[in-house]
Amino acid sequence: MADPLDSGDDIFGKLQKGVDPKIQEEKDKLRNEREHAQYEKARRRLGELIQDNSTLPTTISSIRVIGAPNTRKSFLERIFNPILSVNHDRPYTLAEAIREVSIGADKLNRLDIFHEPISLYLDRPPKTDPSTTPTDIDIYLTVREKSRILLKTGTSAGNGEGEAYTNLLLRNIFGGAESLSVNASLGTRTRSAYSASFESPILSNPSLRLELGGLASSTQKTWSSHEEVLRGAWTKLRYLTPNGSKHELAYNAIWRQITSLSPSASPTVRHDAGDSLKSSLTHTWTLDLRDNPMLPTRGTYTRSLLELAGWGPLVGDVAFAKTEIETQAATPVPIPGLNGISFTTGLRAGLLYPLSLNRESKPRPSRINDRFSLGGPTDVRGFRLSGLGPRDGSDALGGDIYYAFSTNLLFPIPRVPLDTPFRFQAFITGGRLLALDKKGANQNEKVGNAVRELVGNGWPSVAAGVGLVYAHPVARFELNFSLPLVVRRGEWGRKGVSFGVGISML
Amino acid sequence: MPQDANTASQGKAQPRPKARPNAVSWPLFTTPQPIKRLFDKFPLYTYPPNELPERTAQHRDQNVLYLFTGDDGAHRGLPSFNPGCLKWQAYLKFRNIPFVTVSSNNHASPNGALPFLLPASSSASPLDVPSPVSSQRIQRWTQDTIAKRKGKKNSSNLSNEELKHEEPGAEATPLTEDSTRSDPSDMRYEAYLSLLDHRIRNAYLYSLYLAPLNFNAVAFPLYIAPSTTNTLVRLSLAHQLRAAAEGELTKQSPRIDVEAIYQGSDKAFGALSELLGDEDYYFGERKPGLFDASVFAYTNTLLDEDLGWRDFRVVDGLRRYSNLVEHRERIFEAYFE
Repeated sequence: MADPLDSGDDIFGKLQKGVDPKIQEEKDKLRNEREHAQYEKARRRLGELIQDNSTLPTTISSIRVIGAPNTRKSFLERIFNPILSVNHDRPYTLAEAIREVSIGADKLNRLDIFHEPISLYLDRPPKTDPSTTPTDIDIYLTVREKSRILLKTGTSAGNGEGEAYTNLLLRNIFGGAESLSVNASLGTRTRSAYSASFESPILSNPSLRLELGGLASSTQKTWSSHEEVLRGAWTKLRYLTPNGSKHELAYNAIWRQITSLSPSASPTVRHDAGDSLKSSLTHTWTLDLRDNPMLPTRGTYTRSLLELAGWGPLVGDVAFAKTEIETQAATPVPIPGLNGISFTTGLRAGLLYPLSLNRESKPRPSRINDRFSLGGPTDVRGFRLSGLGPRDGSDALGGDIYYAFSTNLLFPIPRVPLDTPFRFQAFITGGRLLALDKKGANQNEKVGNAVRELVGNGWPSVAAGVGLVYAHPVARFELNFSLPLVVRRGEWGRKGVSFGVGISML
Repeated sequence: MPQDANTASQGKAQPRPKARPNAVSWPLFTTPQPIKRLFDKFPLYTYPPNELPERTAQHRDQNVLYLFTGDDGAHRGLPSFNPGCLKWQAYLKFRNIPFVTVSSNNHASPNGALPFLLPASSSASPLDVPSPVSSQRIQRWTQDTIAKRKGKKNSSNLSNEELKHEEPGAEATPLTEDSTRSDPSDMRYEAYLSLLDHRIRNAYLYSLYLAPLNFNAVAFPLYIAPSTTNTLVRLSLAHQLRAAAEGELTKQSPRIDVEAIYQGSDKAFGALSELLGDEDYYFGERKPGLFDASVFAYTNTLLDEDLGWRDFRVVDGLRRYSNLVEHRERIFEAYFE
């Protein structure tokens, strides 16, 4: 392999290596600093200008977006046309004009197709132009489009599962901030998962989006001895209200197959094996007012889910109404001399109410893949995955009604700065998961009896423990030591150390 | 998966003895006795188990045969419309094994195909589950069950030979452990069995799944419609089913020769008719055996007018042999009415 030229001096090697990453990093840093300084200066100038002239009558004669060659003009016009003074009957004050334009710029930002920051320049049109009036200003928005193709591959591990994934994101496909995301992953538990979704803002509004998607996946559910194969499609309408609450209205059609049962599968799982189609409408509402979703110290979080499947024109093979609510609240604990202690508490509850399919007089009892499951590192810690609730043999069957709670006390770690995302925690979690009462004469009696059992029959299943929390920006990692205190016979508590990863943890 | 169950059971309310060997083989990880004693105190309180959901398996105290049948058919114990299932359903009836039938599908089976049998559970607790008996093992299981029953009745030890003598059909099937016999009668038996397993089965597969008239009239309402109400899913399942049938047929010869397949089944019925002769059951037995069950599985399915066959090519081939038709009626009346 010895190349005489190469061994002589390493100029080629250097060239082949490309730019030294350190130098590149340095360059990037400098550029960022420069950009930032420029931006700061522009902002200051703008601030002064506005302060001095805030009541100056102003008309916006033109808005120019520079640096968006791949974005459709008509798409941008829908954002900025309403701001133009031609479309207003009275002139703005300068302050108003700036505010309106900032709202437009903020919309651009939230479309997720431009790099931040978006710079804003004001200019006066040349006086020589006879068509202008003295109050006219021109607006220039300088943007830089984000890369239109993003390909990510990687591996991850957590919650007893390892996987490899590829993610392809195409941005701004038709110049209207439309995106296509294609995901493929192979893993130990989620054997394979492929999904694709196309998302587009409606009427150039970043707060109102439409998504169309489809998936094909196959997941091993070892806690109930089967593999679930899913094939389906959905369409979602997402709306972000000005006060920050998110609404999502979706229609899902999913073909589920319970297959590849393990030899020890219980009769209940064997009974539920096979195909079913779920056709459902869901509404999700989320309001997150926490200061940090992964490690909250203050604020509340509320999420509600309503799902209606198989009812009336929805048809399909399963019919039920499902409702679920989740809340979390966090507050700092003021202890003199000890900073950074916080207390969080969370509560989740859900009910699955079987309905009757078209032309059937009696409601169909729920299936294993529609029922709730409970237990595991992201909800009731100190129990195995799906460790709570009814069990047939070694299989977790899930339940139709549940509640779960968690109270956590978070302490800073001695000699670790407060702003690092590490904390100690002590927790008590618990809950109950039940099937509707089979013996009830009608649906309401079945639910009523189950509610009585849920809250009336002794203590909930409870575990307590201590652990270490690491709040990564995208997920929370926990290493806990826990012991079950109260269980139902057959429920799978977990004694000792366990590791958990979750995006939304109770 | 069993591995998972093992490790998981360590944390269960009631640890199973199975989990222990793990701890022994890893001396590094054994918990010190005082800590273990402390851990054993947890959970501090255990309530009775949760009730099972409504949609669960019934008849846990009985033997349950999972097979292809309608919900109504399962309830009334009607013969299955699937020859593979009916063979064992009939066999269990011939052997006087009490059982109930449940309508199911291939996904539920331990080996991916129906039928299978879930023996009666000896304990009332849902935490104790018997293991399923797949179709290949039903004969063996039946022999064991009969032997146990006999053993209980007169507590005399029946020799294995006597048992086998009682089941002439069973003796020589390739399903029994030692199929390496060279008895001429056994070879003949296997030759006849292969007529059923190949020629008649091929014609049956072709006529049910690939002959368009029958697929829409018989296979679709029996095998696909009960799985789902959704049209797209049904189409997908229908496609899978037909592709599987085609694959099964092309496994034996690369090209599907329809005429040859039908002629093969006609000849096979002729041979089976000749073998039966004027006897009530095959091999001159007083009671039907596994071979009778195998023949009945096809003849009953083909002659069942309720199934609504539209393409009668195979059925007509069978009807020409009146002793086969009578054989089917004899079994039906004796065991299914």
